[in-house]
Amino acid sequence: MMKYIRYCILAVGAGIAVTPFLWLLSTSFKGAEELFAYPPAIIPSVIVWENYSGLWNAVPLGIYFINTIVVTIISVVLNVLLSSLAGFALARQHFKYKQTVFYLIVASLLIPKEVILLPLYTIVLKMHLADSLAGVIIPFLVDGMGIFMMRQAFLSIPKEIEEAGIMDGASPFVLWWNVMLPMTKPMMATLTIFTFIASWGDFLWPLVVLKSPEHFTLQVGLSYLMGTFVDNFRYVAAGGILSIIPVIIIFIFMQKYFERGLFAGSGK
Amino acid sequence: MNKITSYIFIFPAVFLLSLFIIFPMLEVAYFSLLKYSFFGPNEFIGFENYSRLFADSNFWWTLFNSLLYVLVTPVLMVVSLVFALSIRNSMRSAKVLRLFFFLPVITPIVVVGIMWKWIFTEESGLFNYILSLIGIGNVPWLTDYPTNVLSVMILTVWRGFGYYMMILLAGMALIPKEIEEAGILDGANPFQQVIHIILPNLKPTLLFIFVVSSSSAIKLFTELYVLIPGVPMNNKTLVAYLYRQSFERFDFGYGSALAVVIFIITSVFSYANIKMMERQ
Repeated sequence: MMKYIRYCILAVGAGIAVTPFLWLLSTSFKGAEELFAYPPAIIPSVIVWENYSGLWNAVPLGIYFINTIVVTIISVVLNVLLSSLAGFALARQHFKYKQTVFYLIVASLLIPKEVILLPLYTIVLKMHLADSLAGVIIPFLVDGMGIFMMRQAFLSIPKEIEEAGIMDGASPFVLWWNVMLPMTKPMMATLTIFTFIASWGDFLWPLVVLKSPEHFTLQVGLSYLMGTFVDNFRYVAAGGILSIIPVIIIFIFMQKYFERGLFAGSGK
Repeated sequence: MNKITSYIFIFPAVFLLSLFIIFPMLEVAYFSLLKYSFFGPNEFIGFENYSRLFADSNFWWTLFNSLLYVLVTPVLMVVSLVFALSIRNSMRSAKVLRLFFFLPVITPIVVVGIMWKWIFTEESGLFNYILSLIGIGNVPWLTDYPTNVLSVMILTVWRGFGYYMMILLAGMALIPKEIEEAGILDGANPFQQVIHIILPNLKPTLLFIFVVSSSSAIKLFTELYVLIPGVPMNNKTLVAYLYRQSFERFDFGYGSALAVVIFIITSVFSYANIKMMERQ
């Protein structure tokens, strides 16, 4: 009995989670006359592919895609690399001011991005990075959470492995790159999927930095699309669907690491 | 030698965090004491920006709205708890089910806004159609206050419950099996098990969710921006007001005072969060 109640609850929950996606998908294939049909047409009577080709011709979607891919790949690679460098030093090395560095990272976690948006923009402006992808990427190349995650991964490696490496005469760099980094692969994968989702979907900061359409990322482009194509929601829907396909594909492959990261976030 | 490599390892992170996060925050604190001008010299005016802020009705409105959004926290806690309890003993077979629950979590906020804007559309939207089936008339989800607050809340709960469900599952996995088995042996029914065994043991996790969800509710802005961009000021939130002062009005000193106030409110939550992480 209990079992069936639980299944019902889960079915309802999954339905609620998925319905907006299906509704958007359905909208993206509708014809003009069906868009505002009442009662709403759940499944389009005719599949209209023209929304996708029309969108493709109306806005430089390909450029938005390329820009987003560039931002995401650079952000992911450098975030993982820099976090693991810092995490390694914090977990495995002794140096003066280590405590200070630790507090600095904690302090950075206390500061919401939203609060520093304007001074950050003026810095980017002074560095002549405004309206460029570099301006989107560079300020958030590393974040405190990622450093702490990598530090945790390095802390969990047994001391014997480090000692064996030192006995073999490995330099700190070799110790980090050849001996210990490979052992943190699961955590690197977790950090990868989190950073991927965050930079692919990032909106507020790119919106502030980017001004010219040829530099737009997908999310900024979509929000402009929403403003300019108010009357043609089918294009907006098609753009929305196209922009989430990569995230969903990557997520399906890395779901395990994503869930592991959530588990780590709440304690174990 | 070893020492120098430590500094080389730590330098990029320290440099980036200092320049792009710590320094801007110090700037915000400093500018909040200035009558800032882009062209002329800046004038030091002490706490004048703050007294202006506390006399500004828009500030109180947006503060009120931001606190209103904290009401999503209890809803999110209950909803995600119900789903976590339902899914937890079928974890292994439920990978696809969890994927469905995660879809809202991983979807970019702009796309979430597009989806829900379309669902909430008043004339031909899905939501009002469903409501009309049970006899509820046209609800102005996007245009009227405070109905539009409710719309943003619905969006927030939809986007967050899968995430918090997973955090709760992690918390439940930490409850020792013996305790639960003892409860079953004592003849506790499922409802009693939840009240007397699971919930007390989930306290730290629930507290974590309370802190995370509440502090992001106070910072709420993009959800509002993508769903209903053009609402009047007294429908907006603190960060929305800050965004307007900074990027539309260019009132830098005043905006900075507002930023400092938002920072103080959120740091209470973040501080609690860090304390909890340390304990674990």
